[in-house]
Amino acid sequence: MSKSMRIKINSIKTYLSKPQNVILILTGILVTITTIAPIVAIVKDTFQIHPGTIDQYLSGKATGYTIVNYIDLFTSRLAKTNLWDPLINTTILAIGACVFAILFGGIFAYLVTRTNMAFKKYLSSIFIFPYIMPQWTLAVVWQNLFNSNAVTGTSDGLLAAVFNIHMPAWWCLGMFPCIIVLGMHYAPFAYILIGGIFKNMDANLEEAATILDTPRWKIFARVTIPMVKPAILSTILLVAGSTIGSYPVPHYLGLPTLATKYVSMNVKYTGEASVIAIIMMMFGVAIMYLNQRSLHSRKSYTTVTGKSGQITKVNLGARGRYVVAVVFIFITFFTSIYPIISFAFETFLPNPGDYSFLYTGNPNNLTTKWWVTAENISENGMYGQMGILHNKTIWNAFKGTILVALICCLTAGTIGTLIGYAVSKNRRGKLAGYVNSMAFLPYLMPSVAVGAAYFILFSSGNINLFNTYLALVIVGTVKYIPFASRSALNSMLQLSGEIEESAMILDIPWRKRMMNIIIPIQKSSIISGFLLPFMTCLRELSLFMLLCTQGFILSTTLDYFDEMGLYAFSSGINLILIITILISNALVNKITGASLDEGIGG
Amino acid sequence: MKKFICMLMSVLLALSLTACGGGNGGKETTEKSEVQKIIAEAQKMSLEELAKKAIEESNGKTLNAVGNSSRGKSAWPLFVEYLKTIDSSYSAEMNWQQPKNNKIFDQLTADGLKETGTFFMTLIQDGAQIESKMVQTGLLDTFVPKEWAEANSITPEQWTGYLPLQTLNKIFEYNNVSGKKYENCWDFVAEGEHGLFMGLDSEPVGKNFLLMLTKDEYAAYLKDAFDKLPAAKQGYFKTVIDAMESEAKDLNLGENGKYALAWIKLWVNSFNEQTDDGPICNTLVKKSAANQFGLLVYSKVRSVEETEDTSVKNLSVAAYQDGYEGIGGYGYCHYLFVTDNSPLPWTACAFIAYMTETVDGFSAWGKDLGGYSSNPVVARGTEEKFHHSEGSSAKVQCDTTKDRGLDWWEKQGKLVVEDPVYCASVAFTVGSWIETLDKYKPE
Repeated sequence: MSKSMRIKINSIKTYLSKPQNVILILTGILVTITTIAPIVAIVKDTFQIHPGTIDQYLSGKATGYTIVNYIDLFTSRLAKTNLWDPLINTTILAIGACVFAILFGGIFAYLVTRTNMAFKKYLSSIFIFPYIMPQWTLAVVWQNLFNSNAVTGTSDGLLAAVFNIHMPAWWCLGMFPCIIVLGMHYAPFAYILIGGIFKNMDANLEEAATILDTPRWKIFARVTIPMVKPAILSTILLVAGSTIGSYPVPHYLGLPTLATKYVSMNVKYTGEASVIAIIMMMFGVAIMYLNQRSLHSRKSYTTVTGKSGQITKVNLGARGRYVVAVVFIFITFFTSIYPIISFAFETFLPNPGDYSFLYTGNPNNLTTKWWVTAENISENGMYGQMGILHNKTIWNAFKGTILVALICCLTAGTIGTLIGYAVSKNRRGKLAGYVNSMAFLPYLMPSVAVGAAYFILFSSGNINLFNTYLALVIVGTVKYIPFASRSALNSMLQLSGEIEESAMILDIPWRKRMMNIIIPIQKSSIISGFLLPFMTCLRELSLFMLLCTQGFILSTTLDYFDEMGLYAFSSGINLILIITILISNALVNKITGASLDEGIGG
Repeated sequence: MKKFICMLMSVLLALSLTACGGGNGGKETTEKSEVQKIIAEAQKMSLEELAKKAIEESNGKTLNAVGNSSRGKSAWPLFVEYLKTIDSSYSAEMNWQQPKNNKIFDQLTADGLKETGTFFMTLIQDGAQIESKMVQTGLLDTFVPKEWAEANSITPEQWTGYLPLQTLNKIFEYNNVSGKKYENCWDFVAEGEHGLFMGLDSEPVGKNFLLMLTKDEYAAYLKDAFDKLPAAKQGYFKTVIDAMESEAKDLNLGENGKYALAWIKLWVNSFNEQTDDGPICNTLVKKSAANQFGLLVYSKVRSVEETEDTSVKNLSVAAYQDGYEGIGGYGYCHYLFVTDNSPLPWTACAFIAYMTETVDGFSAWGKDLGGYSSNPVVARGTEEKFHHSEGSSAKVQCDTTKDRGLDWWEKQGKLVVEDPVYCASVAFTVGSWIETLDKYKPE
């Protein structure tokens, strides 16, 4: 063997002796396949002729390939309706929801972690409720609260029925409620990510600035904010990516976006819908590009070191700490408690949206039939459904949901954490950058588009996984790896290298270093990386709706009942989901000592 | 990052071009498939003979089917019971899937790529898409049961078109609390009116309704109704009708096409889009919905619970009112097909025959008003059993819940009935024109 060959082999051996490099190679292969495959499927679909759709009509061919989908989408007289207006709406919605989520979640995170605000534990737990709930249920709650016959032409909502208050149309439908609902839904994201950094942040830097007589606002702007910048960027990435791909909220609140257009055009403009999916993906790539630029320009984010860390809390004053808390108790009542009360109440109404009990006080205007009816032969006013407690469709869907969520959380959490670790160890390396970007791409792709792409992939003659749990698990894992990888990366970047290095000097093997040092230190962030896929999976709709039918998992069943206007069932399912997540959170808390918000507010 | 994007794009381009060399989603139909051969044989058999074949083929198996109506699942146990009367050892489970958002077509297309499919049969709606996506591509085959054909006084071979299980009707209904009446179908598109209707994209059969209005016979209904309007009311519509004359010519419509286009334009400009017929019904039966109307599936009225705020008596069926002029609603079908790669074609034929030839088989749908069997014998039997004309199947018996039957609807009720071939033929002419129309947004 020649000397140069030996040198090469040795250098490969040395390279592979580092666990992070092996992880990067393996995960690199995995994410390349799982990311490229759906993109190829969608790109191919834009050129393919679909029988019975516009491309067949325009090209005059029933099969084969064409570019008419691109031409028609960009130049036809429907371009404004099908492309440009939804594109503008999507952009405004993404920006609006990001700003709302970061301000609302970030301020709350600061108050919980860096001040002596009262009732932190309660507020911290209650704040994440909107994220626990499926995003469109907040939209349904919004409708049930503010719609009115006089303005929206639909049934009177609670305010109109009971108090005769009629909110204007811009409040009930369109951009404004979409921003608020999605912002509220994703604010816990910002709270968890930004709060995690605030919580672990050593106050020495701020104190040093204080000693140098720096004004408080300047400390906040020049010291505190730069330190939470990675978390803010992560929040922007996650919220913007999710918002662009959100289908149900704009659908229910009547805002045409690229995601809703994708679904509506899929019937007769299938190829053009795929072009729209590609445009949404380009949004994702653009956001990632901005993030990459920012990552390269930033200085250092090490906030947790081997040295002592301490947090000094801002004193809001004896009264101030209660005043601020009461303000948030009031706000979270409407974002977190009211929806649950509303869901529970809906399950006892004789007809969907029939609030006559509230102004008549007549108990005959309430019913338990939506829960206890055990047959569907006679006409019970339940559209042929059995009560929730006896409804096999609901309980089978529940089992399916738990199965998918558990497997996705374990696979996505483990792969994502390993990627986060490996990338942080090899931050400037090209392979690390590639793996990090590729692992994140699926998240930035709109959920409906990813679901559609995998539907095409899994619908060939050889692989047919439609309506199988395997399909949901694969797609869920690919989509949610970024939750864990970002969470792990953020926390690992804070971790000074000296901690692991000292263990390496003592010749402690990698597995032990991970299990006994790194994971315990950043436990809350890492467990968040597992819990987020679990919770998201429980109420995911946009991603899964094309891959399975209703009755397969709870979210599709919930959406089915919502669309049908059977709000008692959808509200009951919501309650089941919320209770499941709360129990899961409590169990994880009991077993591991960590929870989604515990690391921050507890 | 630039390198990454360039690399990614290059890989995508290469893979896409490679992928472009692949096959297509349709099937070439030069000679009869195995399933079509079985169907030809099955069309000569009675239900009992088919049942024996089904028992032979599927005993102890689990079957998969897909449909737009969830009630196929309810019909299956009744079919199994029937088979048990022939062979008591028979048992078979069925997974019935009901995709939403039009995904049934994608699902069947994907399944059609397999040598042997997952789904043994389907129950599907939306004639326009069935024609262009399912039938012209050879993915679905029509089986016409012998006794069903006989009940319709034909032979299976004489039947052209698809096999309808039933016709459903979406009808104009309005809230009568304020005493306001709608006496002509043009009243529904008058200035300031905003009917409740499902979105045209979320339920394409709704769009088919609009497409069907441009067919000569239904355009004539609209012209007749217009002629019967008082002169004071005609003025508002006349301007729009005249403006549609050139559009009607461009779209190759008949002499009354302008009336159809005018009605469609005014409807699309004004209707208030809802997610489903359920919420529409729930809105209209409340006291607060005074002066409102909708175009919704008739059967929804069956489930209304009476309270201080809500009553089915608050609702009137426009076409049932004395003196009402013009179209009363829209009829569309649930069609039954055997998949061309059906894993169990004999069982599919037997199940289809059972649903279309027996009252029990149709009872999953027949127990509620607003769904009419395509088999006249079964339709009569269903009425005898459930007494829909007396409103017996609904929670409350009143004029609104007394179903007058398909025959009445088609003749007196001037139901616009879906014609799949016509819908498919104008889907990208009239259909594309409809998409250019402004939609109503509450302000």
